[in-house]
Parts: sequence; structure tokens; C-alpha cells
Amino acid sequence: MTVLDFAAVSFAYGSRPALADVSFTLGPGERVALVGHNGAGKSTLMRLVTGLLKPTAGTVLVGDWDTRSRRPDQLAHRVGSLFQHADQQLFARTVREDVAFGPRATGVPAVDASVRVARALEALGLEAVAGEHPYDLPPPDRKLAALAGALALEPTLLVLDEPTAGLDRRARGRVAAALGGRAAEGTTLLVITHDLDYAGEYLDRGLVLDHGRLVQDAPLSDILALGSGLEDLGLAPPPLSRLSAALALPGRPIRAREVAAGLASVAARNRLS
Amino acid sequence: MTAPLTLRAVTYHYPASTTPALRDVSLEVRRGEVLAVIGNVGAGASTLLLVAGDLAPRVTGGELSGTVERSGRAALLLPTPWTQISGMAFTVFDEVAFGPANLGWPRERIATSVERALTRVDVTHLRDRDPTTLSGGELQRVILAGILAMDPDVLLLDEPTAELDPLAARRTWDLIRALARDGMAVVVATSDLDALPDAADRVAWLEQGALRALGATREVLVDAALAAESAPGSTSIAAVWRSARLPEPPPLTVSQAVERLR
Repeated sequence: MTVLDFAAVSFAYGSRPALADVSFTLGPGERVALVGHNGAGKSTLMRLVTGLLKPTAGTVLVGDWDTRSRRPDQLAHRVGSLFQHADQQLFARTVREDVAFGPRATGVPAVDASVRVARALEALGLEAVAGEHPYDLPPPDRKLAALAGALALEPTLLVLDEPTAGLDRRARGRVAAALGGRAAEGTTLLVITHDLDYAGEYLDRGLVLDHGRLVQDAPLSDILALGSGLEDLGLAPPPLSRLSAALALPGRPIRAREVAAGLASVAARNRLS
Repeated sequence: MTAPLTLRAVTYHYPASTTPALRDVSLEVRRGEVLAVIGNVGAGASTLLLVAGDLAPRVTGGELSGTVERSGRAALLLPTPWTQISGMAFTVFDEVAFGPANLGWPRERIATSVERALTRVDVTHLRDRDPTTLSGGELQRVILAGILAMDPDVLLLDEPTAELDPLAARRTWDLIRALARDGMAVVVATSDLDALPDAADRVAWLEQGALRALGATREVLVDAALAAESAPGSTSIAAVWRSARLPEPPPLTVSQAVERLR
């Protein structure tokens, strides 16, 4: 079963091409990072998934729906999104109403909607501020509120633009846990991120865009192992993968727990205790 | 020589707020140094920059006690560049020139400082673009160029790398170091703790508006209290070192870790 299918998709803003001949498919529960330079086409790709833009050539399928024949509000039944400027995504008078808007607008019965809203607020630790006006919250909490709105749709696919940027460690942990939980239930995650620490730790597959072309589609551990080749793509390996490489840890782990285990064994071998 | 920025016992309340956003904060920022301000969301890092930049309480309202002394010009980069764009310029060049033009400088001086700022931030290729068509990261660099074009003595940066790809982020940290080397005083609120061992001279750790620690970067970042669950954490190398239960104090960078394990 395919959750998202990009078949030879191109898009141009007028005469300025933004995406060229991009093809990939995502299955249920996949945890995928979309990375690349500023201006590589990541946000354009996201707008094509949410139906805000239609491809100039090729086809975007969300499940069996062609985005050309669906409006964004129809696609919202299947796609939950978090845009980079999440501030602009909030408009209700309380956080709870804002989070509830998606389920209501997509016709979820009130009882189910309130369960979904409660679940989303809890997952992101927002219960205490649920009654506040979104604009009374600091920007990072507004981002969490917008993310809660996407979770409350309980879509088959979440497309998220920089969900961890500007968040402190505790909030980053909450986002990672909430998204991981949804993926375990079968929701597909497509996450635009510059936060390769987050990506390496919590996502599995990497799509790399460069000047509008998909130049890599591989496990993140392979992509992060490219070393200096990453720089040409606007990427820099995060500290844990650099440490893993510098110490030649077996299997070149990139996740904290495995790197820690590797460190402990190097330390034991060198009698550092 | 007087410090370009000094806060003495500063307490600040936003309008209609009963809890202070800053509590009794005293610190001095020296010429040529990079001071990083870290803390959880809501700890007061952004507020500290607003106070230092004379926007709070002058623009935001609220009440401030204590004293803030500035010598020279302070300039602030907001974490949301799209709210900082002038809206008055059709090209990046004019956008960057907007600040200097408002300082009433002669035309030649404006042109020179804009050129220098565009080069410094590496956005000369965007000079004829419409600012409203830029990506988030491009816009952030353009706004930074606009600030540098005003030739500030104190540069206040709120999460300057949040919108940037990792390579652009690293270039921005290099630029920050270079500006400090040229004598600017730089205060940067950031959650990018991995960048600090190379980028910052000192670190101020704010907790609920109060200074929890202020000292040399290495000293503050190895503090075990910073690793507590409710604290902002340290570098990812320090964290993985500690989770491997290796001896304190932890290394902060990859090269320090490799050195320790040799």
C-alpha cells in the first residue's frame, strides 16, 4: 500500500523551476527526513503534497487520490501539515478550539473529535495552556499548538516543516515521542528538517533534494556517512555521526544509545574508567 | 574602556504580567566577545535581547527596574525574519540599505556599507531579488546584512541559525566569530548548544528569568546541573559521554572526546 506517490513530478514558479522530475513513494509508518539546501525545493514539495500547489508535470498521489482533482481541505482528511511559519496556521481563540478545528472541518463527529484533541494536547504537553489564546503563548508553544492540530486530524500522512526548530530540549523530546508514537500506529512521517541530530535519532530514511532534484533516497545512516560529500548538499554530519566515524565504531552507529555503547567499549579497551 | 552593554539588577515585567520575565539580571558584554544566552523556552533569553536592544520596555511596554547602559549602537535580529522585513523595498539591495538610509548617512557611505554587508553575509547573488520571494534562510541572512550595514557596536541575535541549513548555520557561526574578532560585542540567544564550544566565549544560562550561571563556555557547559531533565542540556557529545557513564567532566566536542579516549 502506498501512502504517497510522486511520479516524475516537476514544478515551476512561473519561469523559475523549483522541482524537476522527482519520483519516490512512501509506505505506511515510514519515518522519512526530507533534507537539502535552503531553497532546494523542500517547501515546494510540501505544498505539492498538501495540494496548495499542483504539479506542472507528473502526478502526486495521496493514497489513491490525485492531488490535481482534490482541494486542500479534502486532502486534509489524509494529510496533516505543519508549515514553517506555524504562527500563521493558528486563528482560533483558544488553543483547544484551534486544535479542534481540523477534525470538525473534516466532519469528525464531536465526541471523536474531542477525544482526538485531548490526545493531541496530551502528547505535546499542552493541556495546561489549552484554554489560552494562541497568541498569548511564546512562539515555540504556538508551534506545538499547530502541530497538535495536525495530529488531531489523525491523518495517514504527516508532512512537517522543521517541527523541532526553535524548541528547547524538553519540547524537542515531546515532539519526537509524539511523532514516534504516531508512526508506530502506522502514520507516515515526512519531515523537512535541518536538525540532523533529530533526524539521525528518530527517522530512518532520507530524501535529499538539491536544486530541485532528488539526488539521494537512502537510509539516513548511509546519508550521514557520506562525510564531506554532505557539504555539497548543504548538510553537515551531526556530532554523533562524526564521533562514530572518528572512533571507527563498528557499524558506524548514529543513534545516541548505540554510540554510547560504542564509547563505553572503546573506553573499556583503553582502560579509561 | 567602558563595556558596550551593561545590565545591572535588571528586572522586567511584560504589560499585565505578574511574573517577571527577567529577575535581577546583571551582566556585562565586552567588546570583541561572543556571549551565548541559553535556557528553556520562556526562560527569558529573547526578553534579555529586547531589553538590551532598547525595545523593552520602550516599544513593548511593561516595567523595568535596574539599569541598562549602552555605549554605541545596538542592533537586534529577531527569530522571525519575515516580521522584520521593511516592506519598503523591491530588491534585496534596497532592503539592506533601508537601515543605513534611516540613519541619515550620505549616499556613498550607504552604498559602501551595503556592499560590504552583502559580501560579509554571502548574499551578493540575491541583490536584485524581491525580498518577499526569498526562502526563510535566505531572508534571515538578508535581514542580518541589513543590520550589519548599520555598523552596530553591539549585535543582538535571537536564534540566528534556526532557519538555516546546517552548512549555512556553520557559516553564520563563523561570521559571528569574525565580527567579534573585529571588535563587535555579540550576544546570541540560541538552542544550538553544539555550536557553542567553538563559537562562544562565555555562556549565560537563564532559568525562569534569572541568571542560573554565567561563565566561560567550557565551565558552564560541563555543569552537571545543565544535564538535568528540566534544563536545556549540554552538547550532544557531552550527553552521549554521560550516558556511557564515562568520567566527569565530559568532553564537549568530537575532537575533545577522541582526545580523551586516546
